[in-house]
Amino acid sequence: MTTVVAGSNLLADLLSGPRPAEWASLREAAELRLAGRELPATRDEDWKYTDLKVLASSTFGPAPKATVDIAGHLLPEMVGTRQVFVNGHHAPHASCASAVPAGVRYFPMSHASEACHTLGSIGNGAAKGLFEDLNTARFEDGAVILVPKNLKVALPLHLLFITKAETPIAVFPRILVMLERGAELELVEEHHGEGPYLSCPVVEVHVAEGAILRHERVQRESPEAYHLGTLKAEVGRGGQYHSRTLSFGARLSRQQPWVRLAEGAEASLDGLALLEGAQVADTHSFLHHAEPGASSHQLHKCIVDGKARAIFNGRILVAQGAQGTDAQQQSRNLLLSEAARVDTKPQLEIYADDVKCSHGAAVGQLDPEELFYLQSRGMNADDARNLLTYGFAADVLTHIPVASLRRALRQLVMARTQATSLGDLG
Amino acid sequence: MLSIKNLTASINGTPVLKGIDLEIKAGEIHAIMGPNGSGKSTLGKVLVGHPAYEVTGGEVLYEGRNLFDMAADERARAGLFMGFQHPIEVPGVSNAAFLRLAYNKKAEAEGRDELDPLEFDDFIHEKIKLVAMKEEFLDRSLNEGFSGGEKKRNEILQMAVLEPKLAILDELDSGLDIDALRVLGDAVNKLQRPDRALLIITHFPRILETIQPQFVHVLSGGRILKSAGKELAIELEDRGYDWVLEEAAAGGAR
Repeated sequence: MTTVVAGSNLLADLLSGPRPAEWASLREAAELRLAGRELPATRDEDWKYTDLKVLASSTFGPAPKATVDIAGHLLPEMVGTRQVFVNGHHAPHASCASAVPAGVRYFPMSHASEACHTLGSIGNGAAKGLFEDLNTARFEDGAVILVPKNLKVALPLHLLFITKAETPIAVFPRILVMLERGAELELVEEHHGEGPYLSCPVVEVHVAEGAILRHERVQRESPEAYHLGTLKAEVGRGGQYHSRTLSFGARLSRQQPWVRLAEGAEASLDGLALLEGAQVADTHSFLHHAEPGASSHQLHKCIVDGKARAIFNGRILVAQGAQGTDAQQQSRNLLLSEAARVDTKPQLEIYADDVKCSHGAAVGQLDPEELFYLQSRGMNADDARNLLTYGFAADVLTHIPVASLRRALRQLVMARTQATSLGDLG
Repeated sequence: MLSIKNLTASINGTPVLKGIDLEIKAGEIHAIMGPNGSGKSTLGKVLVGHPAYEVTGGEVLYEGRNLFDMAADERARAGLFMGFQHPIEVPGVSNAAFLRLAYNKKAEAEGRDELDPLEFDDFIHEKIKLVAMKEEFLDRSLNEGFSGGEKKRNEILQMAVLEPKLAILDELDSGLDIDALRVLGDAVNKLQRPDRALLIITHFPRILETIQPQFVHVLSGGRILKSAGKELAIELEDRGYDWVLEEAAAGGAR
């Protein structure tokens, strides 16, 4: 149920502009579902801890085309596999896909044929989220990636979404990834920006039988930005989907990953949120073990400083008949200040009897035994604290396969955990 | 080097050490033996400054300085080291980065040059040979997912990197197979020099065949009940601890 936020006309505003011409029937259906709806309020259980009131009183205009210098965003492994979008529009001169192997279809959504009928098809039957529908109604562009049967793509692909706002604007990036049977791909999706804006990205992922997608997601939106993201992934028999969502930016962000696993499929859905000041980062995940023998692994970590707030709601549904399910979930949270706050809620719903499911949640400070161990090796208390805080976060970065990205994110984490003075921790 | 006088300590208000006297001079190897729960590990942890223990009385001088005036990290930089029975796992911090950081903190304290990552790479490759550690353990997170034996190997690697003046090794042999115990025992022997000292804490005398002490002390109930030469370890191997406890009880009753 949604409740009316007094005076909110944000949705109507966002929908009032001209509707993009392509994908008309998809957009009409989304608009129909949105008709009469309002922003969720904290009275909605799903939005209890994430207050959108501040969003409701804002006005976001259409996003103009802009140019940005992307030199600082290029990563050596991916210079020839990048598609860049600025303010939601494809930036052909900043993009370069020359190193992408033949056979892989990798192009902007605006070049895609509407015959690409899979768009919007994931989770049919399940209710669509409000911000997902908003994206469907209004997206201008985004990326389409199609990897044919059995092709293992050696180089990672790089999607860069950069927003540059002088006045408040709204952007709706859209990504569609389809891996055919036995295909393999590594995908890096980054969101950067400056100024005040609202970004509502939607990512749709189809992993066919035996295919493997590794998906790194980096959210480094501007400190004035709102990021309300939706991810939907359907993983076929024996397929694998591994994602890692790293949230550093935005004054308020929400990630809603939704993953459905077929028989014998594997998923990992890891997350890290590094928060300070008055930032709010919310993750509401849904892992659906729909068929037998699938396994999922979820490690979600938050470091919360200042008066920031982290929210984690991890729902795992093991359907009737999904025997042999293995689902492991961990929510671990580090509070660095008195005013910092974490609300974490695991939610396991199990309708099968032969399953191995575990979950755990921990909220606290650094472990005194770990601090002492480092001090007993000659590190002073401050260095020990900073090293442990860094390690708590860097733990999630350890297995990022793209070396330059791993290094860059470690540097970022070092800077945010006051660990820079400790030297090279790579 | 270390002079312990009538040391008492407690944890959560419960006395664990009830008056320890012990003198350790440079060049010496001492063994503290005793039944489980006797306070052996506590003695080591109190000496290196574990925050869970409260020193309630007595005095400890380390190289003439009051040990309890120094924070745990200061003691480490001043050359005190403890190889723990259950080393802590630290995810996200690579073993190599941790070792280099520890080395450089000590080098800085001693006014020696710090090593950059490349120089340290050469340095550490010599050290891992000493403890027969596989190179891959350098890139892994500190102790994370290490077996009991691998953790012990890593403790001795840290000892080799830090070259402490006084090393306290707590139950080094637990979790080690015979071959690993020999390798680590030999490594500890190679690190021992006339200006350094060792305090071996062990329940089983087995390790003392490799690392041979000049002095053996039996600790029980928070007190040292008996001190003698290394022949005491052999006697304990044959007869167990009960006779020492009985002898002490009889002595106390007289």
